[in-house]
Amino acid sequence: MGMRITDQKKRERFEQALDLLDQAQPFVKQLYQNNFFQEASRLMNTMDGIRTLFRYADRFDKAGVFENGPWEDPSKLQPNLVNGSLRVDGVESVVALLSELRMLSIAQGNYKHEKVSRQTAKDYLHEVMALNLDFIFPEETEEARLEQGKETERAQRLFKLIVDELSLKAISETLVEEIERLSVQRPIMVNRIVLMIRKAAQLLHTDVEEKSRKKIERYHAAISKLTPLSEQHSDFKDYRERLKQLSEKELKKEADAFAESMRETGLVSSYHVILVRYLNRSQPDLLPAALAVNDKGKANLKEHSDLVQKLIKVAIHPPTRQSLYGLARMLERGVLSHHPVIPGLRRLVELDLQPDVKQSLLDAFPETDGLTANDILTAGVISVLGQPLGIGQGLNPTCQSARALSLWSIHAPGYLLELTARGARDGDIDMRFEGDEIHSQHLPGGLAPELHKELDPVSLVLVPHLDRIYAEMVRRVQYRPDDPHKWVNPAFYGDWIPRGFTKVFNHLTGNVTDYSGFVRLFYATHHPEYNEGYELIYPNPVGICITTVYGKLLGFHAISIQRIAKDPQGEYRVYFYNPNNDSSQNWGQDIKPAVHGHGEYEGESSLPFHEFISRLYAFHYNPYEQGDAFAVQDETVEKIERLARESWGQEYNWVGKNILG
Amino acid sequence: MRNRPSDRFFRLCLTKDFFRFELAGMNGLLCTSCPFLLITRIHNGDVIFRVQVNGGTEKPMRVKEKKAKGPTALIGWSLPIMEAADRLNMPFVVVGPPSCEDYAKKYDLPFVGWDFDRWNKEVPMAQRYQQSEELYNQLKEHKTELAVPLFEETVEWAGALNARFREDPRIFYHSLLFRHKARMKRRAQIGGLKVGVFEEGNNKDEVKEFFKRINDVHMKLKDDEFEPIHIKPFDRAGAAGHRLIRSENDIEEKLNDNNFPCLMESHLDGVEVSCEVFIHKGKIKFLNITEYVVFGYSMMAPPSPEIEKKRPQIREACQQLIDAFNIEYGVIHPEFFLAEDGRINFGEVAYRVAGGHIYELMQRTYDFNPFEGHLLCCDPNTTEEELDDFFPDETKPNGHAGSLLVYPRVKYIQGLNIPEELEEHPGFDRHNMFTPIERKTPDREGYGNHHGTVFFYHQDCEQVKQPLRDFVEHDFYV
Repeated sequence: MGMRITDQKKRERFEQALDLLDQAQPFVKQLYQNNFFQEASRLMNTMDGIRTLFRYADRFDKAGVFENGPWEDPSKLQPNLVNGSLRVDGVESVVALLSELRMLSIAQGNYKHEKVSRQTAKDYLHEVMALNLDFIFPEETEEARLEQGKETERAQRLFKLIVDELSLKAISETLVEEIERLSVQRPIMVNRIVLMIRKAAQLLHTDVEEKSRKKIERYHAAISKLTPLSEQHSDFKDYRERLKQLSEKELKKEADAFAESMRETGLVSSYHVILVRYLNRSQPDLLPAALAVNDKGKANLKEHSDLVQKLIKVAIHPPTRQSLYGLARMLERGVLSHHPVIPGLRRLVELDLQPDVKQSLLDAFPETDGLTANDILTAGVISVLGQPLGIGQGLNPTCQSARALSLWSIHAPGYLLELTARGARDGDIDMRFEGDEIHSQHLPGGLAPELHKELDPVSLVLVPHLDRIYAEMVRRVQYRPDDPHKWVNPAFYGDWIPRGFTKVFNHLTGNVTDYSGFVRLFYATHHPEYNEGYELIYPNPVGICITTVYGKLLGFHAISIQRIAKDPQGEYRVYFYNPNNDSSQNWGQDIKPAVHGHGEYEGESSLPFHEFISRLYAFHYNPYEQGDAFAVQDETVEKIERLARESWGQEYNWVGKNILG
Repeated sequence: MRNRPSDRFFRLCLTKDFFRFELAGMNGLLCTSCPFLLITRIHNGDVIFRVQVNGGTEKPMRVKEKKAKGPTALIGWSLPIMEAADRLNMPFVVVGPPSCEDYAKKYDLPFVGWDFDRWNKEVPMAQRYQQSEELYNQLKEHKTELAVPLFEETVEWAGALNARFREDPRIFYHSLLFRHKARMKRRAQIGGLKVGVFEEGNNKDEVKEFFKRINDVHMKLKDDEFEPIHIKPFDRAGAAGHRLIRSENDIEEKLNDNNFPCLMESHLDGVEVSCEVFIHKGKIKFLNITEYVVFGYSMMAPPSPEIEKKRPQIREACQQLIDAFNIEYGVIHPEFFLAEDGRINFGEVAYRVAGGHIYELMQRTYDFNPFEGHLLCCDPNTTEEELDDFFPDETKPNGHAGSLLVYPRVKYIQGLNIPEELEEHPGFDRHNMFTPIERKTPDREGYGNHHGTVFFYHQDCEQVKQPLRDFVEHDFYV
């Protein structure tokens, strides 16, 4: 019967498996599903096979392909889960792929589903496409090719079919929005944004909307050849040679163009770096123009021109180009006027680094072009000092540490430099906690070995230490009758943190016992109209309940309140720093933190005051700066309690003095 | 015999070691710990009991031929059997673990939840008759009159239920024969089947004694290659708890308290086969023979020609077994060793659906649905004509089918490794493996549950047998 399984044979076997499944009673479909998935997965190995599967996709539902599984009801599928499912080594990726084919069948009118209209299916697939650009535009590096498994290849074939059947036009807008949304937060790490821009640029060859096309072109220029001159001389050396021949006026024009783009997008082109390095040597008086710094920045640059020129020489290179934006922001923040900062920066340049620190810094920039680890670290420090709200935790559960770095960058840059030097040179940092010194190098655990390395250089050096110290402090007070953060936060972050602390949950029972008291206290200590007008001076590290689009509790998260103020429309908002660098999530109940449009400074998120409280579960306060809690309207408190109860509050018992009983 | 009850005995009477019964107008209590030895009845406060030796006064069990009107109770959760009942238009009610209730509800399947795991842990085997009352009452509401056991752990429960349905407690004790390997062997021996030497063992010393006695008669002295013996728990399916003892050292190392009590038996040489014997009215309606290619790993049906040649003798042994056990209806799944001298030694027998996908192999080669056949044979009301129409000629299979059970040999599964030679092998039919969600593999007990199966099919039995042997060594899970 010699049976090398030919394509023809594969199709026959697939049809047979589908027929068998189809004929089975609903309650025994699962006896035939495995075999069907086996045969279907054989076809997924070629583009022809995927097309064959698509031809049968209108039969899948009736045959019971998805019977009694998570994909049963297409109206309940979530686009954001598709990418993960398609990558699973196992049957999940096979079913997920078949489910997308069913959706495509609905979108193309081949199959009518009672709950999912053609348009809904199309919208769904557009969203799926926008979220799966990595499959639509596969990375073409050798490394990516070697790493990907058969699941990735199958998914790429699936998206090739989807793109063939639908069009990329619809997703270009989504993509542009995503790029804008992320870049407006001005993160230090821009890898993801850059990747999306590169993907979006590939759309330029297709029929995208004119509006999107312009934006994509703008962003793409920002990370590449922005000016006619760089266009003509794409080799860095040629470009640099050409710069030498320019008049001062022409150089100024070049500088203005790059600076404007950098200011608009937060992204830095490598050509910009070549230009700045050239100006730094030959025309330093054009540096303010090349950075487009404001008056304060100009003054700072002028005052510390020697140091700035040295920093540019050491730290600003094509691979570390983003630090140019950090440098401009650092000058505008006037950080160099803090006494310890200048010697602290100088020390970094020649610091002896621990070998492992050196290695992890060099690993972070694979195309180092002869950069030293000190150059990288200095560049990292410039970014952190310039963009304190651009520090991100990456894919690590280390929001506490990111929050600390951000706070120190704003209020204690000298201390931050000190810690950086300690960590990088000594492989140890220490903090005092209730009279004891805690040294990070003696502590076990922490996330160091598993730390996801897509982090800025300062975080790479410090987070492993900070994380261990934080964990140790919590460990020491975990059995006290109140929340450990009460003692840990002031010791860890520093004396800026007020000693008053409260949280929503009763520490011993975990129940919510006095929610209205909690809400009123927050008003009386934070809302300018109830707290006698005291301003928030230092960021307040608070705990929030992160909820899903449906308001369901996902977990706890650490953020910092930066300030509380009226927005341009006259509404009080809480402006906060979210170390996850993806702050405009949807938290359900129509609570969507904004990152622009409501008077946010770069890197800030904001929410109307009452919406913010509804997700708050713990905060610090200054007992000496407290207004009248009773002045807060009952209706306001009730509204907030309702939001809380109907979201994260569903996971908890509510007893005692809550307005709603 | 007439006795005043001793204190101890009276106490026993009041505990659950005894249960009330009504039989042929006689009210009484039945001792459950020694069911074949005594029946008691209470008369004026005295306990009267009489010894009833197995095979002596015991009458052959006969099922009263009543027209089964109610649905058949399927004891154990098995989708293929439910599908078979559905195809036969046979009304059924499923008795399955409570975790299956939602599924049953979703598909409107008549369902009674019964926590076999829990009861089997809490209630000793012999007392499950009493425990079955609650289940019986629930099934009565469904008007059920027949229970069909599907798994090893449900055999005595089905026995208990059938005993209640037919008002004949002996049916329960009969079912226990299949759940106690020593009793099973003794019964077979009494029925004239050839068995190895066996004893019941309660501790390591008894195993040592037995091991010595066996080797004594083989005249194996120290430093010789000893004759191995086998240790098996009385009531576990398949190879669970099976230990091969080759030396006194093995006794110390391989056995602990959990292995006792157990069956100890001498080693039987020969090719091992399993049979699926479809019985109706005490006669064989269809006999499938499955060859164990690599014991515990791979099997083939129908078997190689040299085994097939012995079909008449194997059939004879099966009939002998049926007679010895007084089996009227249903399917038994005995295992035999075919010795080179032509002798057929009895290994053990189960009264349930065979494992290892054997029914699927039969379906592939004989082109009928053995699950349906199973239900037809369990039902006393099935007619001769129906059965004759249903079963194919057992001597005219279409090709050979084989299954290879795949067990991960790693602690943590990283992925699958399906070799190209496998898929391109002429005998390859299909496999059902995907990289599992649960990557950690459980510790194996016996042969445990296999993770995946590879199916082979070919007209030439060598094209099936050879890969069944070769791929046993392959690591499909890496």
